[in-house]
Amino acid sequence: MINLQPYADPKYFVLLLVALLPLMIGLYYGHRLRIYETIVSAAFITLMFTGAKWQQGVALIAYVVYQLLLVAGYARYRQTKNTTPVFVSVVALSILPLVIVKVTPALGPNQSLLGFLGISYLTFKAVQVLMELRDGTIKQLSLGMFLRFMLFMPVISSGPIDRYRRFAQDYEQVPTQSDYVAMLERAVWYLFLGFFYKFILGYVFGTLWLPRLAQAAMVHRGWLDLSPALGLYMYDYAMYLFFDFAGYSLFAVALSLVMGINTPMNFNRPFQAHNIKDFWNRWHMTLSFWFRDFIFMRVTFFIMKHKLIKNRIRISQVAYLINFLVMGFWHGVTWYYIVYGLFHAGAIIINDYWLRFKKKHRKQLPHNRWTEALAIFITFNVVCFSFLIFSGFLDTLWFK
Amino acid sequence: MKKRLWQIFGPVVLAALIVLGLLLAPLPNQKLSMQRLHADAVSLSPTVLGGQRIKHQALAKNYVPFYGSSELARMDPFHPSVLAAKYHRAYQPLLLGDPGTQSLVHFVDEQTMMPQLHGKRAVFIVSMQWFTKQGQIPAAFDQYYSPLQLATWLLKAGRGEADRYAARRLLAMGAPAKSIVMRDALYRIAAGQRLTKPQRVGLQAELQALKNEDNLFSTLSISPRWHDIERGMRRLPATDDPAALSTLATQIGKARTTSNNLGIDNDFFNKRLKGKRLKQLAGSQRGFDYRVSPEYGDFQLLLQQFAKANMNVQFIIPPINQKWARYTGLSMPEYEEAVGKLKYQLAEQGFDKVLDLSQKGSQPYFMQDTIHLGWQGWLAVDHVVKPFLTTPQLAPHYQLNDYFYTKAWAQTKTVG
Amino acid sequence: MDTKETVLAILNDLTGEDFAANLDENLFESGLLDSMDTVQLLLELQSQLGVDVPVSEFDRSQWDTPAKIIAKASATA
Repeated sequence: MINLQPYADPKYFVLLLVALLPLMIGLYYGHRLRIYETIVSAAFITLMFTGAKWQQGVALIAYVVYQLLLVAGYARYRQTKNTTPVFVSVVALSILPLVIVKVTPALGPNQSLLGFLGISYLTFKAVQVLMELRDGTIKQLSLGMFLRFMLFMPVISSGPIDRYRRFAQDYEQVPTQSDYVAMLERAVWYLFLGFFYKFILGYVFGTLWLPRLAQAAMVHRGWLDLSPALGLYMYDYAMYLFFDFAGYSLFAVALSLVMGINTPMNFNRPFQAHNIKDFWNRWHMTLSFWFRDFIFMRVTFFIMKHKLIKNRIRISQVAYLINFLVMGFWHGVTWYYIVYGLFHAGAIIINDYWLRFKKKHRKQLPHNRWTEALAIFITFNVVCFSFLIFSGFLDTLWFK
Repeated sequence: MKKRLWQIFGPVVLAALIVLGLLLAPLPNQKLSMQRLHADAVSLSPTVLGGQRIKHQALAKNYVPFYGSSELARMDPFHPSVLAAKYHRAYQPLLLGDPGTQSLVHFVDEQTMMPQLHGKRAVFIVSMQWFTKQGQIPAAFDQYYSPLQLATWLLKAGRGEADRYAARRLLAMGAPAKSIVMRDALYRIAAGQRLTKPQRVGLQAELQALKNEDNLFSTLSISPRWHDIERGMRRLPATDDPAALSTLATQIGKARTTSNNLGIDNDFFNKRLKGKRLKQLAGSQRGFDYRVSPEYGDFQLLLQQFAKANMNVQFIIPPINQKWARYTGLSMPEYEEAVGKLKYQLAEQGFDKVLDLSQKGSQPYFMQDTIHLGWQGWLAVDHVVKPFLTTPQLAPHYQLNDYFYTKAWAQTKTVG
Repeated sequence: MDTKETVLAILNDLTGEDFAANLDENLFESGLLDSMDTVQLLLELQSQLGVDVPVSEFDRSQWDTPAKIIAKASATA
């Protein structure tokens, strides 16, 4: 059986673009070929889960049906009532499969049968819809649109994470011819930038250099098993992580544009960030904004509203800790993902202290090109170090 | 609007046409420099192993294939490549293999060489460590097999037992499944059918693209290993004198195994074994059994291929470091039975050039580390390989037997 | 106090700046308002003006200048 992993090789792009050609012609002339689009999407999603991966395919179908029932049930309930316990239980049920999938490998040698490629991204989307139903910002939920949103093919496996209302609006509105041509222009540019990122730079950093540096770091062990090779590994891994994932995200955005949907961008020159807060506004943006809007802001809102903590600074610190801890656990239940989360919470809390200090002493502190360069340099190194934790390589180095 | 569409997609179409042109046009096979060949012959890189161009040009000169696996990377001064280079021997080794390469990888990856190897000689170092219950590990196969070589084989595969067995094993490796054309072709061969016309056309196009890729990109990587060879050459005496070499091997071996009482090279010991790692490995080979393995059938594929090309092959069975075997609890009687089984498979079919070193694992400085030949071990290889490759040899007579592909043979524990 | 003055007073509390003269300054780009301030802004709007804005409604691009915030607050008040 044929199996096609998204964006894995040139063949995939050729096949996908050929399959999308009728859709493109339709959009160019102002029509969205909905049925055709559904068939092509279904075919390519099926091909992701054929062969040895069929179990994942079954899990995906079961998962989507389950979320559909939850969301439809809650939307119906929300028409007439609105209580917190029901809302909390529905959200808990919605994230339950993801929790099981994430916790299972930490408990034993096996992966959960509920898992499939992309489960966490689908969970973000479903939870977001539930929260907006609760808030009343989504009033009418079309189940067809919900399915399209959940299973939007270009982004199904790894995002970017779109928002339901934004997506639905794009979907209902066919772009004008000149807008669509502009979208195609962006798509071509993103596609080729993505090739450069993922298949050239990602290959150099990830396939050519990373294994050698890993080997060197395993062999030359100094104090605490640290070594210059480990330092190089750290920077190389950070580059690999960025170019691989940014390349992937560019493909997803490009293909979305081809399908007439403005999926939001995921990266905005993250290594030029001036501080950690700035970094999270540039790195994996759709994820960090999701966390900001649905975890950080809600936690602070809750604490402030119920006056659980008086001190504003303390509130933000607690919210950051919760926010990044959840993000750490989301990556996986291992010590290094959790430490990675705590590390970023710590970094952002320290960064806030510094920002407040800077605000107070604005007059005395110099601000010029050099201080900016220093800020970027420090942020870059802190971020690269956090990625070294994230890579799990320290786990191999120290404990395996 | 039409003009804008052209501005956007014109460059894309042009780029696609250029790439297609580069891949499908019959490109000339550019000549490699002698220095390049020196380096590539000892690089152990998958590009060389799976490629066509470098091997083709090396064999056109005086290079002889040395098939093997991880031991080829033990480049001390007595390594075959060092000796051959230092003393300007009439042959130069073309090293084919790396950790993880076993019979099936060699079988696939030597396809483009076969026409050139007809009636020629080769050296084959076969490790008992290949003959595990699982045999060739699919992940390692994936890393080393070459689609170019596989396509070459598919285009000439027939309906005989050997080709059907090979197709089944290759399907089990999973790697060729990436190409739809190749996978379908494998299914047909495994089923004992000939390829269809469209399949042949598809494979030929794929092969042409892969050949061009090999021509264009195989020289982009540079191997650092030639420096190891040069370093080794500087340590050797000026004349090719066995007694002097043996004294030097003992001297170097002694100086390099001071950190442990297992007779293992200091570097290897310090990097890979020292401390808790060593403790973990105590008794770790208890229960290793090399007698039952699909590898025997895979090895038969190679024998069949050598016989078909009327090649004269010197086989070498390296030993296991005796102290290491004892420390890790490897069963020596079972190991010896596995060696016996392999030698039976060779002898039965007329492969009589077999250097069995399996009893030499306790000789001082024979092994560089746990399972890899070093200093004296390499010299023992040289004692046989040098005359084999430099003096006239009788033409071999092979009698192949398809029984060695069967499960029954794979599971036979003892012979004779 | 009308809605406009109230909003400006809240923003003044949060940022320490008076926006009466520059209603179109981008509050997020200039770093004057962060997520914490936003939450506080929403809470203040709720308690002082009775404007109920859920967190999900908060789309940054529609709330990034004092003028836009005033417009939003007036529309839902």
